[in-house]
Amino acid sequence: MDIRNSAVVRFFDRHRKLLVALLLIIFLFLLGQITVSNFLSLAQILLTVKLASFIALFGLCQMIVIAGGGSGLDLSVGYTATITSVLTASVMDGKNENLWLAVLVALGIGIVVGSVNGALAAYVKLPPLVVTLAMSQMLQGTINVYTAGANITGRPSPVLQIIAAKSTGIFPHILIILLIVTPIVMIILYKTKWGMKLFGAGANETAAYLSGVNVRLVRCVAFILSGVLASLIGLLLIGNMGIAFKDMGSNYVMPSIAAVVVGGVSLGGGDGNYLGVILGAIFLQTLSNLLVALGWGDAGKWVGFGTVLYVLLIVYVSNRRSR
Amino acid sequence: MGRLKGLSFAGRLITRPAFSSLLILVVMVALTAVLQKNFFETKSIVRNINAFAPLILLTMGQAVVIIAGGLDLSCGSALSMLTCVLTSVMKKNVPASGVYALAIALAVALGMGFINGVGIGYLRIPPVVLTYATSYVWLGVALFLRPTPGGEAVDWFKAFYNIGGVKGAAEWLKQLGARIPSALILVLLGCALWFLISKTKTGRYIYAVGGNNDSAYESGIDTARVQMIACMINSVFILLAALFFVGQVQSGDARMGDPLTLRAIAAAVVGGIALTGGRGSVYIALVGALILSFVNKIIFFANIPYAFQTLVGGAIVILAIASSQAYSLSSSRALLRESRLS
Repeated sequence: MDIRNSAVVRFFDRHRKLLVALLLIIFLFLLGQITVSNFLSLAQILLTVKLASFIALFGLCQMIVIAGGGSGLDLSVGYTATITSVLTASVMDGKNENLWLAVLVALGIGIVVGSVNGALAAYVKLPPLVVTLAMSQMLQGTINVYTAGANITGRPSPVLQIIAAKSTGIFPHILIILLIVTPIVMIILYKTKWGMKLFGAGANETAAYLSGVNVRLVRCVAFILSGVLASLIGLLLIGNMGIAFKDMGSNYVMPSIAAVVVGGVSLGGGDGNYLGVILGAIFLQTLSNLLVALGWGDAGKWVGFGTVLYVLLIVYVSNRRSR
Repeated sequence: MGRLKGLSFAGRLITRPAFSSLLILVVMVALTAVLQKNFFETKSIVRNINAFAPLILLTMGQAVVIIAGGLDLSCGSALSMLTCVLTSVMKKNVPASGVYALAIALAVALGMGFINGVGIGYLRIPPVVLTYATSYVWLGVALFLRPTPGGEAVDWFKAFYNIGGVKGAAEWLKQLGARIPSALILVLLGCALWFLISKTKTGRYIYAVGGNNDSAYESGIDTARVQMIACMINSVFILLAALFFVGQVQSGDARMGDPLTLRAIAAAVVGGIALTGGRGSVYIALVGALILSFVNKIIFFANIPYAFQTLVGGAIVILAIASSQAYSLSSSRALLRESRLS
């Protein structure tokens, strides 16, 4: 039997990027166990995964928009989530019976933000980077206006807190969300017509257009999906934190893009594997945990984070010309 | 440019993509002049130039990188890091240490450009994530040098802010400093630098590489080297901004540059630089930086409550970009129509 065609080799070849990400995570945990005591325990791993799940969920927004091509990117997810948290905090006011209203508000915010992003990026053809950047600035401004008039009041409903913050034993509940979301996303992207259209628009715009795909509409819908997801994540964020504050979502934006890249998704569009994004998020979270645990302070943490990311990009996505 | 032949001079002027940017700028200046009573006094002009200079310098550097087909998300933290490097090397009482600081900062700046350039040019990593990664390296190094804002600078560094501000400056220097701010000289220096480079082969190559990397490569251009040079030019612009800051506040701060990064990118886009690369003018990018700066001034003078400022600022950026996009689309259509008629 030819070894190059054996099922095992083919499996490894197809999932090379996922396996590399997985190996990197294992390597980091082992490194952590050697240098810092108690780094490699089940509780610690689950805690890391819990923190990473927010990056992974934001990474889903990015992945959908990036997959559609047209140098898509959504920098507004952080403030979309933040404004949802801030506004729904007072809507929920710590009561479960108000949760459905909060979800409605979140959906509304997501659809509005996503449609504006999508219309400007896909139809007016403005660069998504700038559109979503300006959008996030406008959302931040809206939050500033809102909080200038009144303090942020209200608490998340208990159900949300149970979902986002609590855990059974050492198993965090938010992982259940991730376990539900992942297969749904995979099915939508790989098994439905819309998923095919999205990847088609990202891989080759002209070819997709000539095959009858409404490229603009597909991209616009991708932005709307991203907005809706981001505002729903905002609900989870406030559930996790217990209170809403001004900048609660903005720290996730750049890590979510990095997670997409580490997960092996091309920024040019046309492909996307959500499992990779989740692994990328776990990798980034483990890395920053390790750097904090080493006690190098802020400076060491950021230098380490940046350097590792740089090296990883070289190993991973560098696309040298062969001479 | 062949398509432009059939048009009159005025028609040619109006159909230039730069025209919309200039038009917006004129409107902004007019609005500011109405709102600010002493707008045309020398003092307030000097003050405005000082306030605008850092963004202008960063935007011009950013424009060069974007034209070459890249993007620099690390320019803000690079600026912070350079202020930290400068203030760490200098000793207040040793005037000669300022010279060492200048040399070291230049070397560090070029090194930063080199690192970004290797990633973007040779390894062909998407610039957004690559410069995102390096921005954290710069931030970390800056925090290592200066955990809290501070440091010291030699007295003659004040000349980078105000020529007359140096201790023991002659009377005519003081007079000069009150009229011609150093910031203006730094910006002109940047313009001269770009003017010289744009006249060389490298200047042409920067546009060619950004326009179509593969074709440029096939035509025998060393695309990687060109992109690296673009990153280094950007570093020089960032260094100029860092000199201005250290001259102004005589200290370094690891976080001061952060808000400037995205503003510089937005300003470049408002100034007609296409994020896809290869199109736009660095001088018009300067106009974009001026537009964004005037927006801030107008918001300030129009007595808009502080809370509304970010909201209005973001909305105006979208409006400016959308209108310049719509303008360039419609004018290119008009051009097509006219060229068919003639």
